[in-house]
Amino acid sequence: MKVMNEISDTIIQTHDLCYTYAAKQDKALQKQALVNVNLAVKRGSCAAIIGVTGSGKSTLVQHFNGLLQPTAGTVVVDGVDVGAKGADLFRLRQRVGMLFQFPEAQLFERTIYADVAFGPKRMQLGKHEIRARVLAALDAVGLPPKEFAQRSPFELSGGQMRRAALAGVLAMTPIILVLDEPTTGLDAEGRAEFYYYLQRIQREQGVTIVLVSHDMTEVAALADTIFVMHNAHLMMQGTPRTIFSQGERLREYGLAEPPLSTLLAELRQQGVEIPEDTFTIDEAFTVLSRRR
Amino acid sequence: MNTPLIDVQGITYTYPAQNTSKGQTHPVAALQDVSLQVQAGEYVALLGHNGSGKSTLARHCNALLIPTSGRVLVAGRDSSDLAQQRAIRDTVGMIFQNPDNQLIATVVEDDVAWALAVRGFSRAMIAERVEEALAAVGISAMRELPPQRLSGGQRQRVAIAGVLALRPRCIIADEATAQLDPLSRAEITALLHDLNRRYGLTIIQVTHFLEEAALAERVVVMEQGRIVMEGPPAQIFADIERLRQLKLAIPEPVELAQRLRNAGLPISREALTVEAIAREIAR
Repeated sequence: MKVMNEISDTIIQTHDLCYTYAAKQDKALQKQALVNVNLAVKRGSCAAIIGVTGSGKSTLVQHFNGLLQPTAGTVVVDGVDVGAKGADLFRLRQRVGMLFQFPEAQLFERTIYADVAFGPKRMQLGKHEIRARVLAALDAVGLPPKEFAQRSPFELSGGQMRRAALAGVLAMTPIILVLDEPTTGLDAEGRAEFYYYLQRIQREQGVTIVLVSHDMTEVAALADTIFVMHNAHLMMQGTPRTIFSQGERLREYGLAEPPLSTLLAELRQQGVEIPEDTFTIDEAFTVLSRRR
Repeated sequence: MNTPLIDVQGITYTYPAQNTSKGQTHPVAALQDVSLQVQAGEYVALLGHNGSGKSTLARHCNALLIPTSGRVLVAGRDSSDLAQQRAIRDTVGMIFQNPDNQLIATVVEDDVAWALAVRGFSRAMIAERVEEALAAVGISAMRELPPQRLSGGQRQRVAIAGVLALRPRCIIADEATAQLDPLSRAEITALLHDLNRRYGLTIIQVTHFLEEAALAERVVVMEQGRIVMEGPPAQIFADIERLRQLKLAIPEPVELAQRLRNAGLPISREALTVEAIAREIAR
């Protein structure tokens, strides 16, 4: 029975996943973007995928809604074998919402309401259902419909535009949200607000979140599990606490731990005693303030 | 003191009203009575959240924008004088957030050569300057590659080389690191400091990252189109609460240092980088 539970607890599972970008004319130009990737994402969790440009992280997440299908190996997302012949990719795409970089570029309607309603309309839902979903989605991202529904998306601040785009994805009621660098270019307030609403959505709606980001402080704060990609391979996986205590290894992959972890590592090198599992600013303060 | 390289004298700038689907928008005052002097060879960080006016101010420093009132002098040239604008833009080069908006050629070295070719430099002169600019930013080995093959940080280096080839006296980096990963971001900032030290190039780094501002000689903080704080980093960082109110993210090491200082540990306010803070705590 326990085994069964564990299986249904996993919402994304890859087994020896490989993907090779094809070059029809010239085999030498083929590029292996993923090699034997094995990972499992727990239902309702936040998984962060980190790695430098070209490490394979974007290729990986594009398998999660069937935008790409494996060259070899398997990807099973919410029970759907993505690479199988006849896999219901249409249904999968309704269940896996994707928000790419600079999603505000995809806003185009005259009102925010119309923009958020675009997806549900294409799902051919009834009028009332569409309306209910749009209003709920706008509320969930902190753009109260009363104030925002009839405004033009182009009057919004940068951070609000991102959240309007997120509402458009949420209105499809996905069970998995894949976010590729969702806060790039936003300032501190815009980022903080975006992640505040995202965490609330994860908590209240039980949505599984897959986050591709290079802001390690954010990854440290949000992720339950981190997957580290390098040269098409999955090199490390674990909690932020364990991954970010291995700064030297991360640097081999062109990555770095959050600045606070760098500071603690530096202090240990200089002989200051700090427990290996010290991770948050409060923990660091508690340990270091005793030195007085 | 010498005549400043850039002399912004009490400028106000109002974005013109725009026609939108919902009719006319009101004109917005993006800068209000801003004065700023930047000396040759200085490294200034222009700090503020999105919409604070920092990029608008930066664009006045190379005549991309002309003030609604007040005036801007660059090496003594008035930016409102059309005849001077080319000379001003040759004096003050600018790089932007997304290097791809600035890269046009299919090969790195052609891209760096572009502005020189447009200005009618001789082949020999172009070759020499391109060589020098590529070396200065450390991408000589990539000269024959298409820019798309490079990483974001490397493409930003190409953009910097393209500006350097014109031998400006000042480079303005307008959020040039905002789209990069943390390591590339630190590398581009290190490169700007290197150019400042080696060639005495004046640098104005527009940013919302306090980590970057901490390394500048002088920090100018903007909010609602005005300069609200100005001084050396240690002085600016002394008031963390104020920076937080200005919607800036406080780096965790800096916050930890302040909390330890408040708890009575002797940690210098001058310590703003991870290395410096570690030294102070370990002392």
